[in-house]
Amino acid sequence: MHIMEGFLPLNWAVFWWVIALPCLVYGMYRLKLVLDADREALPLLGVTGGFIFILSSLKLPSVTGSCSHPTGTGLSAICFGPWITSVVCGIVLLFQALFLAHGGLSVLGANIVSMGIVGPLVGYAVYRTLRETRVNMFLTVFLACALADIFTYVTTSLELALAYPAQVGGVGSSFVLFMGIFAITQVPLAIVEGVVLALVFKYIVQLKPDILLRMKVFPEEKISAARGD
Amino acid sequence: MYDEFLEDIAQANGLREVNTYVKLVAGLGAIILCLLSTSFFAPLFIAVLLSGAIIILARVDIKTYAELFIVPFWFAVMSVLVIVLLSGGSPVYWSWDPFPWLSLSISRESLNEGIFVFCRVLGGMSALIFIALTTPMTDLFIVMRRCRVPEAVVDLAMMIYRAIFMVMHLLVQTYQAQVMRLGYSSFRESIESFATLCGSVFIASWDAGEDLVRAMDARCYAGKFAVLGESGPVNVYSLAVTGSFLLVSFVIVVMTKNIVAI
Repeated sequence: MHIMEGFLPLNWAVFWWVIALPCLVYGMYRLKLVLDADREALPLLGVTGGFIFILSSLKLPSVTGSCSHPTGTGLSAICFGPWITSVVCGIVLLFQALFLAHGGLSVLGANIVSMGIVGPLVGYAVYRTLRETRVNMFLTVFLACALADIFTYVTTSLELALAYPAQVGGVGSSFVLFMGIFAITQVPLAIVEGVVLALVFKYIVQLKPDILLRMKVFPEEKISAARGD
Repeated sequence: MYDEFLEDIAQANGLREVNTYVKLVAGLGAIILCLLSTSFFAPLFIAVLLSGAIIILARVDIKTYAELFIVPFWFAVMSVLVIVLLSGGSPVYWSWDPFPWLSLSISRESLNEGIFVFCRVLGGMSALIFIALTTPMTDLFIVMRRCRVPEAVVDLAMMIYRAIFMVMHLLVQTYQAQVMRLGYSSFRESIESFATLCGSVFIASWDAGEDLVRAMDARCYAGKFAVLGESGPVNVYSLAVTGSFLLVSFVIVVMTKNIVAI
């Protein structure tokens, strides 16, 4: 989904920056609260960022001025909430632009909105809805991660369609076209990503459940049930 | 696969000692000028000039630079095709209506639009690669701190920077071990191996991150990484080159605003 440098016209690049900035500022405030309360969250946040960096660098080209790849943001949204995730994503996207020439600086706002804000918000909403229900914990993680991934691409398609509406049918038909091209590669990728992150979550539950309990990610009964205690 | 980041080249490039702010002004200025331009010519001019600067001044190997450009180049070609087909315009050379809501056509206007966006991407990408190849991330942390980015964010950025290398190192090692044991011989096997890979690397690098923070705590870390913030002095020559580059590009942006390709 990384839209490349120079692909969006100036007005749209600025527009997405204006949307991204308040979310980032709020995320920074939340980040400070979390780090003040629990310094042990720093290594976990760092590794989560490193993971998002690597997962979202595994790119497949797509014909839409962008590319297809896993995003890895769902797990971070579940553990730290969507706002802190947006700050982590902002840093990761900046690094990708400067390490791998992947993405860009003027389009960073648009990329943060799709991968760092809308995707994690959807993932978090799914997780909050299913958290207190009887739905299996790993299924919840799977759904949150897969949907966060898909909605990242829905947002990117919208960003591209708004900047380049079709002459016939306008924004709607170019949105359908961009979405159609993305769907071919992204639906299977999102499912694989959901499965992989659910398994990663299983490892965390088995080996390091204390931080999940401290951050109240899932109720204690669910975690002990999953560990087989 | 990611054994060599641009970061390694940036640490050893010919413009390493030039003041970070001067390089950032050149790169960011070029990006803004590309976006302000309304014709294909100015971005193309910026792309050629910055590519020259990367190869001659920063002494980056021409083959490395070309390889770096190939992926965005094909990306740009494919994406621009979609824009050409969608944006309509006149006079029409070719058209096709596969669905009632979708009409694909090629016209003079849409070709011009495509060439313009293509050149803007080339200009923007060369400016981005210029920053990536000449300015190491460690220098940017100092800029972030000077620009009053909150401490917590700079700390997190440094932690992520470190984590990327830790994760990468463990990933490559574990992946090679799995391949040697036929871990990716079938699709099912691949998914399982990939999940194990991610899980074990996640936990292992998390442990390594905790060790890092403990080691820093033992050395009086109180929530602020101390970095030596010495960037090279602002040199009159580099300032003059950057200034004239931006000025000439700006004049070209203004003078060529109505030029079309065909």
